[in-house]
Amino acid sequence: MPRILTRENAIRWAPFMVLLALIVLFTAINPSFLSQRNFARIAIAAAPALMVAVGVTFIIVMGSIDLSMEGVVSLTAVLFCFLMLALGGTLASGGWIAIPVILVVGAAIGLVNGFIHVKLKIPSFMASLALGFVGTGAAILLTGGDIVKFNDPTFRALLTWRILGFPLMVYVAGLCLVLAWFIQAQTRLGRYFYAVGGGEELAHASGVRVQHVRMAGFSLAGFFYAIAAILQVAKLGQAESVTGSNFMFMSITSVVVGGVALWGGIGGVWNTLVGVLIVAVINNGMVVIGLPDFLQAAVLGLLVIIAVILSTDRRAVAFVK
Amino acid sequence: MSTFIKDFIERETVNRRNFLLATAAGMGAMAVPFAFGGGAAGAAISDPAIAWSYRDRASAYWNSIVSGGEAFVESLGKPKDSLVSLINEGSSEKSLADIKAFLAKTGGKCAIACDANDSPNARPVVEAVHDAGAYISTIWNKTDDLHPWDVGDNYVSHMTWSDEKPAEQTARILFDAMGGKGGVVHLGGIAANNPAIERLNGLKNALKDFPDIELLDAQPADWDTTKGTELMASFLTRFGDKITGVHCANDNIAYGVIEALRAEGIENMPIVAYDGNPEAVKLVMEGKLLATVFTNPHWGGGITAALAYYAATGAFKPSEEPKEHREFYGPTVLVTKKDAADFKAKYLDAVPSYNWKDFWGPSNGQIKYK
Repeated sequence: MPRILTRENAIRWAPFMVLLALIVLFTAINPSFLSQRNFARIAIAAAPALMVAVGVTFIIVMGSIDLSMEGVVSLTAVLFCFLMLALGGTLASGGWIAIPVILVVGAAIGLVNGFIHVKLKIPSFMASLALGFVGTGAAILLTGGDIVKFNDPTFRALLTWRILGFPLMVYVAGLCLVLAWFIQAQTRLGRYFYAVGGGEELAHASGVRVQHVRMAGFSLAGFFYAIAAILQVAKLGQAESVTGSNFMFMSITSVVVGGVALWGGIGGVWNTLVGVLIVAVINNGMVVIGLPDFLQAAVLGLLVIIAVILSTDRRAVAFVK
Repeated sequence: MSTFIKDFIERETVNRRNFLLATAAGMGAMAVPFAFGGGAAGAAISDPAIAWSYRDRASAYWNSIVSGGEAFVESLGKPKDSLVSLINEGSSEKSLADIKAFLAKTGGKCAIACDANDSPNARPVVEAVHDAGAYISTIWNKTDDLHPWDVGDNYVSHMTWSDEKPAEQTARILFDAMGGKGGVVHLGGIAANNPAIERLNGLKNALKDFPDIELLDAQPADWDTTKGTELMASFLTRFGDKITGVHCANDNIAYGVIEALRAEGIENMPIVAYDGNPEAVKLVMEGKLLATVFTNPHWGGGITAALAYYAATGAFKPSEEPKEHREFYGPTVLVTKKDAADFKAKYLDAVPSYNWKDFWGPSNGQIKYK
């Protein structure tokens, strides 16, 4: 019988244990934390962030980084609202067409991002950050700094219609997560992501077309950012040029806290799920236990460091950049 | 003595000397405006160039400020784009550098309206304008010890808004709607921002008259809709049914609160907000918000440019005006359900045309310092 309590297993399950420990801690201080209604609130907060984090997971697994999420989410959210309103303002009146269109737009922006990075040989950090600014700028240009409200009750059912106590958008995010897992585990593209992240030259020498894989990865990330934008509009009923703010910190932190290594090749979408839940639970829990606001940022930072310490296999890492 | 210690002493001596010299220079510089007070502004400028220096275009507020500035230049028979935008993107250095560049380009023949981005930056900006013989009116940011009448005619006026009283009024409306009892939560702006502090103080002032209302918690939501929803959701877990009213520091936060409550199927929670944005006024009309406060940025943007312009042309002489015309509060209009429709018709559906020579009509009295 294989041993369960191995070192590898301990590290593998560390993020999940951190999540459980946080839930136990917050519940011990305020029992109302452990309620179905609160879990639904955490799930609503986490759903759009999860989609962004899943998108960037593919990039980080490849050993690159994508910082365009804030601009892409803002731009696709604004475009989505405008398109919906132009198509009659309701899902039923033909507005549903906006959903596939926006997903394609997201993927296209990601492709441009990948193209700039790969073909013009600009580091992904800089290329994506710059493209993110372009996205935010385009969103400002489109909205003129104003808010676009979109309140079709059918579409807002994503937030208001509950199944087993959880809103529909949580299930949509869950389905997209399964899709991401399928791409990661069951497709050739998914395996190539790991090959590139584990050793790019080796992958190249083995016949993997690294440049194509990278561009596909960025495009896929853009697709998931667009899903996040749609869920964010469902959650808030509006889009503006700052709809995507805070997603950069939230998603990168979640991915790392969940145990995906920034140097590539390690971790996957389930780690990201746990990471997003850890960050969402911390954000919710700190208010629920009544932590003074001036302590919250510091505590969040400390908890993130602790989570990363526990979930990193330091023996497997020769050096950290 | 080792060279290290010798060098150290030498360096410290020099530093002390520099410090004394710098202090003397600083005090001298402070005395300059007093010495030349009023005198430096001499000849009128026949056709001054007009600029607005402000933070960004990504917000309804600054867009509205600029639209007011544009309405003013159009009232002079000039095209909209004759108003030069100096966008500082939240950087005081850029704010000062842009203004200096504009002064150099126009040779000081200009009128500038400006939010200096942060309080300490107002002094160097005003001094640069004074030295170039141009004219400036400021809004929002300046230190308490900087006054237009100390600088002279070139520093025409300063306008700011006091948020404490209006926030207290919205709190009273909220408490009345709560029946004078229950629990209230406050979702605030970025904790260190002055308006955030004033708006929370307003709520606390109103609480003194309502002993049966408990302030359950006040936390920053950073002026942000997403943060507003998430904070409100967490408040619901922590306090549950104890929350019977919500006091928001601005409209954007209130949008988030309404969505957090919608997710829970909670209707009819009394909520008040601040800023008087068009969407918020609509929500007041629908009864989803009890009240918001309008600060009329369109008028503020136009009148600030107008003050600087007409002082530059010599249409009026700032130093002959009383102090309440040099430092004053901008207008605040409380919007509640009963007057929301009128308000919308008057201010939002059609932008009212203002008399840009009625400088102080809608203003709200001289600024008081604590």
